[in-house]
Amino acid sequence: MTWTELILQGFTLTQAWVFEHGVEPLLPAFGLLAYQEEAFDATEFFLVGLGEIALLILLFRPLEALFPAEHWANRKGVRVDILYTLLHRLGFIPLVLFVLLWPLTFKLDAWLRLHGFIPYTLEDIFPSLENRPLLTFLSYLIIIDFFSYWLHRFQHRLEWWWALHGVHHSQRTMSYWSDDRTHFLDDILTGAWFSLLSLIIGVPPGQFILLMMIPRILQSFAHANIRWRFGPFERVLVSPHYHRFHHGIGTGSTSGQQSCNFAVLFPLWDILFGTANFSEEHPPTGISDQLEGREYGSGFLEQQWLGLKRLVRALKTGKA
Amino acid sequence: MRPFIIALLVFFSAIPLVARAEVAIVLNSGEGTISRIDRQTYQPIDRFFVGREPHHLMSLPDNSAVIVANAVSNDLVFLDPKTGNIIKRINHISDPYQIAFSPDKRWFVANSLRLDRVDVYDARDFHLIKRFELASMPSHLAFSPDSSTVFITLQGSDQLAAIDLNALKIKWVIPIGKTPAGVILTPDGQHLLVGVMGLDEVAVVDFKKAQIIKHISAGKGTHNFMPEGDGRHIFVGNRSGDTVSIIDTKTLTITKTFPVPGGPDDMEVSADGKQLWITSRWIRQVSIVDLATDRVVRTIPVGKSPHGIFFENHASRQ
Repeated sequence: MTWTELILQGFTLTQAWVFEHGVEPLLPAFGLLAYQEEAFDATEFFLVGLGEIALLILLFRPLEALFPAEHWANRKGVRVDILYTLLHRLGFIPLVLFVLLWPLTFKLDAWLRLHGFIPYTLEDIFPSLENRPLLTFLSYLIIIDFFSYWLHRFQHRLEWWWALHGVHHSQRTMSYWSDDRTHFLDDILTGAWFSLLSLIIGVPPGQFILLMMIPRILQSFAHANIRWRFGPFERVLVSPHYHRFHHGIGTGSTSGQQSCNFAVLFPLWDILFGTANFSEEHPPTGISDQLEGREYGSGFLEQQWLGLKRLVRALKTGKA
Repeated sequence: MRPFIIALLVFFSAIPLVARAEVAIVLNSGEGTISRIDRQTYQPIDRFFVGREPHHLMSLPDNSAVIVANAVSNDLVFLDPKTGNIIKRINHISDPYQIAFSPDKRWFVANSLRLDRVDVYDARDFHLIKRFELASMPSHLAFSPDSSTVFITLQGSDQLAAIDLNALKIKWVIPIGKTPAGVILTPDGQHLLVGVMGLDEVAVVDFKKAQIIKHISAGKGTHNFMPEGDGRHIFVGNRSGDTVSIIDTKTLTITKTFPVPGGPDDMEVSADGKQLWITSRWIRQVSIVDLATDRVVRTIPVGKSPHGIFFENHASRQ
């Protein structure tokens, strides 16, 4: 048995044990027995998230200590982002999003079929992808990243959306925990965006976990407080430096058309659409009006509430 | 030069070996692949992509092919029943989850569990005849002996539905119990057996009267059926309890129950009646039970979330 097989075997048995002893017995009480298979997948999501968080700490915490982009007196400001990460990566927020969005995508999908339209998968469009898992994986990664880029541009371009996205940008002590620091309504919009995409091109079930996990780890790395650039690969993969510039006060962390470096994984999109900035500057992170005393909240609930208030203001006045 | 010749010989000699082996086909629904297993050596041969979410498979009425229903790819893939090789693919079959042909070979019915639809096709050319909207989660199906009616378990709304295939109308819908799954006709053609997961029982239904006539207490999460092949006994998997029970359809009682690990799901019985092959859904394996001792004697690693299983040399479906 190879190491990969051994790890997979260990994970499979752990998932089955947790499911059969901790999750499955609870399903009848909640009237969810019909969703046994979904609950099994959710168990996997939870365990993968747990492993992923452990990996983030092991990989990125030492790097933040050794090569910090910024020196902080303490890491108090980071704590709230840990809560965001746990809520997202252990599956609580994705579960709420699934419950909220699934009925809509289900209705749309069922309605389309009732009218004779069967949504495509990527393999329908490119049959040569069949039996080429690596090529399929890369194709999905690139397509998802392209859609992430445009989603991100809208988050900055539309003032009302920026009002929500401000929660993410208001972190003055940005670390590898900051990727999931988002407003819940922002999460719903993002979820709807990718639900529509999955309706158009589908998601290969066998690769779903990797397609979720690899970008998440890379995004955590991009937010890390690490003074790293990727040298000749700076234009290939988003580095902590490249993304820090996007979060920088007076550089990328703003609404309207002034922002830059929107790419999530591949700077290619910024290069193609003229939004890349490969400056060597290391700006402090946050939003400029925080320097004038504007409050974005320090705790989870306060950040969510103030985000909601900014949204209402943006809808009324056109400015967040 | 010599290593090259040896490699060439090994390569070409391996092809007939694979072709000769009696193959078991397992659908790994969670990763869209098929595992092929050599039935003589119990060794996995290979694993290849077949489509998204292949859950169930069914022989063509003339046994010339096995059809795999890829629910999320919206297609049917025809496999050679001997080798498991792909013969052809029919696209634009909407979300086929559970599939079956009527005994008279006239109808092909596909349940769409995800989208609450039941599609009735002409079995000759897979032309859609009618799409029924049923609430909710149409799961398994069985036909009346005269092929006039198809019975569908509705997993989400705890019902059993009957569709009149001649009139193409819903005949009746009755409450059957919490989360029904498998449904099968008894070998005498008199009753339907329904696995009711939420009640840990098999409901016996007189389908002519649309009435439940008996409840047989089984194991936890009573799920799916497979005839033993003797015209009398039927296996039922208890997916949450990790057991399989045997029902005597003459007495409508459970004669024995034995353990099978990891969420026993779909089953296949060897033609000699000696082995029961079961997909263990949660642990990526096929479990083989020796029916002389009712013990799992072998386990074979397969892919993620194995569901449907088939081999050509199987016991009678009666």
